[in-house]
Amino acid sequence: MNPKLIRELEHRLGRDSVLSLREDLLLYEYDGSVEVARPECVVFPRATTDVADIVRLANQYETPLVGRGAGTGLSGGALARDGGIVVAFSRMNRILEVDAENRRAIVQPGVVNLDLTLAVEHLGLYFAPDPSSQKACTIGGNVLENAGGPHTLAYGVTTNHVTGLELVLPEGRVVRIGGRAAETLGYDLTGLLVGSEGTLAIVTEITVRLSRKPEAVKTLLAVYEAVDDATESVVEITRRGITPAACEMLDGWTLRTVEDFVHAGFPRDSAAVLLLEVEGLAEGVEEQAAEISAVCLAKRAREVRVARDDRERDLLWKGRKNAFGAIGRISPSYYVQDGVIPRTKLPQTLRRIAEIGEKYGFRIGNIFHAGDGNLHPLILFDPRHPGEFDRVVAASGEIIRHCIEMGGALTGEHGVGMEKNELMPLMFTPGDLALMKRVRGAFNPTGRLNPKKIFPLGKGCGEVRIQPPPLPSSLPA
Amino acid sequence: MNSLSEASLARLESIAGSAAMLTDAALLAAYDVDGARPGAAVRPGDAAAAAEIVRCAAAENLALIACGGRTKLSIGAAPSRYDIALDLSRMNRILAYDPGDLTLGVEPGVTLTELRRALAEHGQFLPLESPYAASATVGGTIAANAISPLRQAFGGPRDFVLGMEFVTGEGEPAKGGGRVVKNVTGYDLHKLMIGSLGTLGVITRINFRTFPLPAGERAVLAAFPSAENAFSFCAAITHSPLEPRRLETFDAAAMRLLGLAPTGPGSGEGAWCVLVDAAGTSAVVARHQRDLERLARAAGAAQFTALESSDRGKWLTRALEFPRYVAERSPETLLVRIAAPPTAMPALAAESLRIARSNPVESALFLPATGLAYLALQPRESGSAALGSLATAVTQFFEAISGNAVNARDVAAMVEGCPAELKRRISLWGPAKDDFELMQRVKKVFDPRNVLSPGRFCGGI
Repeated sequence: MNPKLIRELEHRLGRDSVLSLREDLLLYEYDGSVEVARPECVVFPRATTDVADIVRLANQYETPLVGRGAGTGLSGGALARDGGIVVAFSRMNRILEVDAENRRAIVQPGVVNLDLTLAVEHLGLYFAPDPSSQKACTIGGNVLENAGGPHTLAYGVTTNHVTGLELVLPEGRVVRIGGRAAETLGYDLTGLLVGSEGTLAIVTEITVRLSRKPEAVKTLLAVYEAVDDATESVVEITRRGITPAACEMLDGWTLRTVEDFVHAGFPRDSAAVLLLEVEGLAEGVEEQAAEISAVCLAKRAREVRVARDDRERDLLWKGRKNAFGAIGRISPSYYVQDGVIPRTKLPQTLRRIAEIGEKYGFRIGNIFHAGDGNLHPLILFDPRHPGEFDRVVAASGEIIRHCIEMGGALTGEHGVGMEKNELMPLMFTPGDLALMKRVRGAFNPTGRLNPKKIFPLGKGCGEVRIQPPPLPSSLPA
Repeated sequence: MNSLSEASLARLESIAGSAAMLTDAALLAAYDVDGARPGAAVRPGDAAAAAEIVRCAAAENLALIACGGRTKLSIGAAPSRYDIALDLSRMNRILAYDPGDLTLGVEPGVTLTELRRALAEHGQFLPLESPYAASATVGGTIAANAISPLRQAFGGPRDFVLGMEFVTGEGEPAKGGGRVVKNVTGYDLHKLMIGSLGTLGVITRINFRTFPLPAGERAVLAAFPSAENAFSFCAAITHSPLEPRRLETFDAAAMRLLGLAPTGPGSGEGAWCVLVDAAGTSAVVARHQRDLERLARAAGAAQFTALESSDRGKWLTRALEFPRYVAERSPETLLVRIAAPPTAMPALAAESLRIARSNPVESALFLPATGLAYLALQPRESGSAALGSLATAVTQFFEAISGNAVNARDVAAMVEGCPAELKRRISLWGPAKDDFELMQRVKKVFDPRNVLSPGRFCGGI
């Protein structure tokens, strides 16, 4: 990187706001995915005007720019694939306004997801999107990746909870779109920007919808002797039009791994569990819980437990939300997919995933948002074994192709990023992609804002071209 | 009357077939938009034919307006050009319906009535309602982003449309989103189509998530002596654990316009009514009624009644048709659609009424859901003076929004209906905001040759 650019950034932002030493940059070369890409410089703006100046300097030096929240993303969205500047939002982490009367909050992008809920809890409100990483991930990242979470089954993903944004466009201009009102009457630019994976503009302020905490909550754990019985329960719950607030599934191997780590109370001898939650008015919650129990028992659940108190409930959720950490304890590495299928296809899809695991000789764990058909098959592997990651990619490709054949989608909540960009032709025609690229071009004509994301780069359509992950430094090669 | 060249007509006919094309002036009158008449109406049978018609229009530099039930063509500015009506009413198939997955894919020409029937067979529904309910189509309802009181509980189409297929202004088929309930693959291009009045694409397929029909429903009606009381009741509901399906607020003039008049105490001039509809099992519905009565009394309700089922039907149907009642009252009425933070609504309502009083116009205010409002204005005189009064009143209204009373950025308002002559004198969307230039960029991507509904969107897009 041109040292003059670094000097100018330091001059504008202060030396404590710019990192450019190799050892500092190492911390910013990864996110929650298996990808790696090192930036040449990391800057820490404190205000929108800082961001606008950074963008102008980057333009002047024709340098790529990538925004970054907490780096918990699972598709490489915050990685500097072409080097350049990472704009890290850890210092733009203020909640600017809580408008409880209108159930809105205005936040800077670096606000941690859970911190917003903690800040408005005393008002009986919360921020509904709840990705597993909510203790660390930022709302800016949630917005750009259109993050989900277990409770999006009933309440929708991030896009359903954002009504307005402040943007710094790639030419450096600051624009506001949307606002506090429930709708805008021009084109829904906010709807376009949410989930655009940082390729259209840098978001510097977010107006979010706050939800009211429900009067009553009931958490149920249905325990099964067979995976098919669990998936068939989900099909039946969906078919009957019961919408729990959350409906998560863990298969036997995964729940045992989690149990050994978290001691959440998942029965180690079961083949699968469903973690279900119902919320709302006390009267409705009782009725829904009873109906769900009846369905699960009719589908041969061994038992349906109801969490007796908040402690039991929190423990069950701790098991769910810390699952990836638990798996990290026992496997050198794992690769997680994010495909979506129609809920009616769950039983056959889980059987197919098991077959693919056998075919390639991998252990595949399943812990996922069953209620909305959003799969997270976890393929365990060891990067020290030559060629193993290539087989992971092949197995994962078969799973995702199955999802698309079922009428599903490539990614339900993790984003395309630099992980699934080569798979985009499975879902979209060249015409679809050309139009999306023109949309990108209308905002980001030079392509220097978050380059090489979302769109396929290679000629081999439909191939996963991700790089093998680096060896974890703690493991001997 | 627009005349298309013989060559253009022949080409259109070869695409659609002669049976699917109208050129007779008398028949084409049904496709008039703000006094402009197309040279032909073409009725494609599928998405491929629709795309070919758009390609033809683009190649010959013709302007095209897509339509279905033709109930919302008066929304938006007058078209700057209009050669072809692309009538999608023959594209009325349900393409995919998986009741077990609660997902649905339809062509744009399916009527809401037909859709309701098909879904009800499986105990499901779509929270998509529209004025002119008898003939409105799904495509038009989405393209106009029609307000339905069900937004109270379900949000707008952006919250339950999963994906769309459409044809760009260059005649290229494209899509955004998908068919499953959760999906973040690619840009959400379908969200741009919602409310775009056909200026970005011709919608050829819409995928929805569907919802189960509730076990039971009950509406209650609370009458209040003033706006202040009514708004405080609404705020109390918002801050309670209740989850009403509908929360509709009427001023006295709105009720008069709809022919809905509560009788008894507190029902005179200056009265406001709030209708709350709850859905669910009998226990849930009963809980709503109990709590609502308590909240209504606390807010100073003069009366509180549970509506008989036939009365409920009458209130819900007429309230949904508010824009139609306004339009049918007189050709000189004006209808403003407003979205604002709920706390801004009382001030906006007061301001609107003040503007009406200071001009020779009558006003009626109806709030279909929290944070959404319709303001109807009707001049007391007629003729050119009437248009002048409307123009003055609406200009003052937009000035009031950008003034200090409320935060301008947080209020969205547009004139949804007004006499065609007035459209040339006022800006239907009020003063442009700083995101307008981005909208122009988007339009240029989807429709670079300005083929689709030119001039009908804000700022002349």
